[in-house]
Amino acid sequence: MQTRFRSLVSGFLESVERFPNRTALVVDNESLSYSDLHQCVCRIASAIHENEREAFPYVAVWAHRSQTAYAGVLGAIAAGKGYVPLNPKFPLERTRRMLALSGCTVLIVGKECLPQLPGLLQTVDRPLTVILETPDILPNLLSQNSHHQFIFVEQVRDREGFSLREGATPSSLAYLLFTSGSTGVPKGVPISQGNVWAYVDYICRRYEVNEHDRFSQQFDLTFDLSAHDMFVCWERGGSLHCVPEKSVMAPAKFIRDHQLTMWFSVPSVAGLLMKMHLLSSNCFPSLRYSLFCGEPLPASYAQSWQEAAPNSVVENLYGPTEATIAIAHYRWEAENSFEDCVNDIVPIGQVFEGQQFRVTDSRGESVSFGNPGELCLSGSQVATGYWNDPEKTKKQFVRLPGADDQLWYRTGDLVRQGAKGNLCYLGRTDQQVKIRGYRVELQEIEAVLRRACGTDQVVSVPWPVRNGSAEGVVAFVSGLKALDQRHILAICGDALPDYMVPKKIYLVDELPLNPNQKIDRGKLSNLLEGVA
Amino acid sequence: MRAVAEQELIHMVIDWVKENGLNDASRAQVSETTNLLESGILDSFAFVDLVLFIEKCTQKKLDLVDANPEEFTIVKSLCHLALQNGHK
Repeated sequence: MQTRFRSLVSGFLESVERFPNRTALVVDNESLSYSDLHQCVCRIASAIHENEREAFPYVAVWAHRSQTAYAGVLGAIAAGKGYVPLNPKFPLERTRRMLALSGCTVLIVGKECLPQLPGLLQTVDRPLTVILETPDILPNLLSQNSHHQFIFVEQVRDREGFSLREGATPSSLAYLLFTSGSTGVPKGVPISQGNVWAYVDYICRRYEVNEHDRFSQQFDLTFDLSAHDMFVCWERGGSLHCVPEKSVMAPAKFIRDHQLTMWFSVPSVAGLLMKMHLLSSNCFPSLRYSLFCGEPLPASYAQSWQEAAPNSVVENLYGPTEATIAIAHYRWEAENSFEDCVNDIVPIGQVFEGQQFRVTDSRGESVSFGNPGELCLSGSQVATGYWNDPEKTKKQFVRLPGADDQLWYRTGDLVRQGAKGNLCYLGRTDQQVKIRGYRVELQEIEAVLRRACGTDQVVSVPWPVRNGSAEGVVAFVSGLKALDQRHILAICGDALPDYMVPKKIYLVDELPLNPNQKIDRGKLSNLLEGVA
Repeated sequence: MRAVAEQELIHMVIDWVKENGLNDASRAQVSETTNLLESGILDSFAFVDLVLFIEKCTQKKLDLVDANPEEFTIVKSLCHLALQNGHK
């Protein structure tokens, strides 16, 4: 039973009141109490409130694993705005595009992004309000960017009278996240506070989250699973432990050093730790819950993690960005779970209580129990459309036969319901793949490749695929006499995040076609098997 | 089987990274002080492949349980760890 809605900042403020001296955030080897973090949040919220040139529902946060990143997210929400996370690891061109697509006029910048800031500001035409930590910034930045307004949080006076925006409604915006788009342009998914509240409320009750919990914060802010870490943790007065970039790949020591109780990552992290012999028996005794999401979870990973964290409940979560973080779960039980797996992949499990699902055929009709079909989702966690994109919204957010006016999100995920009622993931209905948990539309990579190669005859293939997950992509190009691989990869690197840049490009005489005259991606994968 | 010396292992690792690294420009510059992940030469999956390569060269399991990531992502330190802490 869902608890009555309250705004995302209310949970944090309640924790500030109840536990002012408890640790709220550990980042960059620095520990901030709820009271410390609250002070930073108030200053940022106040800076937004007082300096916004025109009212706009979103504020962009360009920061990464720093105090500004977390205070910026909370500050935006406390000022009554949704946040748009930007990522300094992404190419500048992609960041500029996401900023432009969002329409944001306020940009919060962490000091870790300062070296890239001049490059970004030079390409942004409309005047921005740029919120920085201190005036101690790059020489000439202010004089060369006089059309932008710069505000320094350090100089914002403590405003006792400033009231944080607790009066949000379920439809108030929480965040706008950009995912890979099949037309070559990232698409924005607006998630409301009501969507996030439904998730946070359910998860806090399910996992009995409390002020003694110590949460991992492993995901970049541009990955929506980061919203779980922050909002679930702060709702109940827990402490959030940001995994430093250098430990993201192999966080075993970090888990032990910080005595974490709540772990959340993509399954690939478990796989990497396994291969590096870092999942020894009972090496993570402090963990209470271990959650995995973002890509298929192989049974061997779940079992190895369970042995490494014997005091922990291991759960596989599933959910597209459009359904807010996760909307289904499966609890791993060493005795019974192996038989529930399909192709050695742990089931998606059951949809959260209070949310709805249907498994449908291509006409939207429900398939018979046990038959494969597309998973459609509905309920208080599900978004209502894409940002400024009515065409894509109409395609993916639909009415289903016999479901009145209820709006359903077509996930594009093929599933089948097993005998025990658990949903099992079977694959995709389209060309979307997951790389290290990131959603990637191959068409977006191909759009960049076409531009870079000057030919339409390009195709990208997920490769290698191990345990149901792609580790990267490679590309094939035809119709050229020669290929300057380094030049083409450099263009890709300027436009795409590293996980979308092809690892190799092969020049072939022609691209193989299947009987339907479409490019035969399976044949290309077979070709790669031969090369490997 | 002959035991591999640290300097020899460093050379083998550098050759492996030059062959298998992701970033053309950076991998040409790889040296024993290069941080393989921060430089972007290897991603996490390629790093695991490198660990497996080192284990094959040394015939030992690489023990990274208590190693700091900033230590084991640098070529020289990684090779040192592989020969110091590894176990059969």
